[in-house]
Amino acid sequence: MVGGVGSGKTTELLLAEQWLRKQGNGLTFFYDISQETDLSSLNSGALLARFGIGLDWIVLNLGSLSRADSQAEKLGEFSREIMEFAFGKRVRRDLTSIDDRPKSIYELARDEVESHFLTENVPGKLNPPLPPLNRDIQEVRAPLEEFLAIARKAHRDVVVVFDGLDRLLDATKFWSVVHQDLRLLREMKVSVLATAPLSVLFGAGVGQSISDHFDRVHHLSVIASDPENASLRSVLDKRRGSELLTMQEADAICHFSGGVLRDLISLARDAAEEAYVSDHDSITAADVEKVVHQLGTGYLRGLGPEATKTLLKLQSSKSFKVDVPANVELLLTRRVLEYSSTDFRVHPALLSVIPRTEQKRV
Amino acid sequence: MSEFSTEPFFEIARRLEIRGETGWVAVLTPATDSSASLDQLQTELQSVLQKPARVIQLETSTFEELREALHQPDGDAVILSGGTGLTLEKWRSLDIMRSALERKGPVILWLSPGDVAHLIEHAPNIRSFIGGSIFLAGPDRGIMTETERQERLKELSQHFGFSGAEAVRKAQARELPHEPEFVEWLVLLGRGDLL
Repeated sequence: MVGGVGSGKTTELLLAEQWLRKQGNGLTFFYDISQETDLSSLNSGALLARFGIGLDWIVLNLGSLSRADSQAEKLGEFSREIMEFAFGKRVRRDLTSIDDRPKSIYELARDEVESHFLTENVPGKLNPPLPPLNRDIQEVRAPLEEFLAIARKAHRDVVVVFDGLDRLLDATKFWSVVHQDLRLLREMKVSVLATAPLSVLFGAGVGQSISDHFDRVHHLSVIASDPENASLRSVLDKRRGSELLTMQEADAICHFSGGVLRDLISLARDAAEEAYVSDHDSITAADVEKVVHQLGTGYLRGLGPEATKTLLKLQSSKSFKVDVPANVELLLTRRVLEYSSTDFRVHPALLSVIPRTEQKRV
Repeated sequence: MSEFSTEPFFEIARRLEIRGETGWVAVLTPATDSSASLDQLQTELQSVLQKPARVIQLETSTFEELREALHQPDGDAVILSGGTGLTLEKWRSLDIMRSALERKGPVILWLSPGDVAHLIEHAPNIRSFIGGSIFLAGPDRGIMTETERQERLKELSQHFGFSGAEAVRKAQARELPHEPEFVEWLVLLGRGDLL
């Protein structure tokens, strides 16, 4: 699930989880991984560790399964391995028998001279398409498979939903967990639903296609606020917005949200709040104007002259290069919105606060 | 350059009160006397929201410390202070952990103008939660002329259908609801001690 900030990815995943649970016979896990671990230092294996802990708990609490003592002992051992994989362990090394201290380049050179040999890497001709699975990832496979086998006696399909991976604005980290964690889950026939950062679609020089690693990629683009598209209005109506908003103000809020669902909801809420603190009986055009200005000013703050030029060029000529890193930044910060792979537009709230003098200059 | 809306602390607290339990806003620190202003914001939040308000320093908190501090307890108001400024790395890290920052009670980011620019540029996930709720700490509108004060007192009296003296009596008898308008009324009557 790929989409910009505030496009409704979490809502979609929660709905998917709810649907999966209703199907019966399946075992579904939902993790917002950014709540579980510090993603800025995310390690490959973190997703497997979280899934392993959840699976371990489910299996050990499956009351309907009767197990022989020997199997219970074996499961206890596997459970310990998963916990150690997740939380680490203390190991004791005998320093008198193992010399695994790092050697300086002088010591390595001395060893080579004394032993009359030279160490060098000779690359092979067949490069593997993907990096090999790390040794620790391979080691956790056995306990996970054991628990999965037991879980599958009671549940036909195992699905794990990972939210929060879209926060990894640097796509390199995302790919490292795809190549390790998600690959092993696929090999173990566990279905995965995950969010991904927008940069995997537009990032320059990423050189990897997300569709090569997932059976299906769902791009959650922003919703056009065209008159014939009533989706945005229906979001406001569902939240009883029509009780406080005239049709004209509701249309203005839909338009200035740019189709970003979170912006739509906060503009409507802020307009109501503005009307309340200003002692207005209902939301006025001035209330909407004020909150649009606030939102636009937020997007404008920190925007340099070059970026402003790019935005105004996009507005006038509709041209936007997605392989330029600075332009990807504009997409990630929601200053530019993607309506389709060929339709990019400046966020309307931002456009409304770019000084007219700047606009005339382009 | 467009500017953010200027709001006194009382209005910011009132906005959070309207939103109910959850709410995210960012407040730009004033150029001078930032520490006293922070104390004032904390007091206003406690008074209007009728719940404790804590200040947590972002700069010195690790991921684990911040997560724990925000959730134990998770219903009070929390002011996350950026202090003199946060590094870009810290902003990126905070943005990544946004879900871990989500809590029941309101979150107020107390930031220098430079940090607001960093928030917008390097923390799009947090910025998205804040939306347009970025305010400049403004002067308290309590500094009104005597005519304005009298006018407002008259409005409040007409709206609620009883006099200022009656409002004081009710407050003394603890019969006055903790509504923002009553807080304002007592302050305008010079009886903030009854809050």
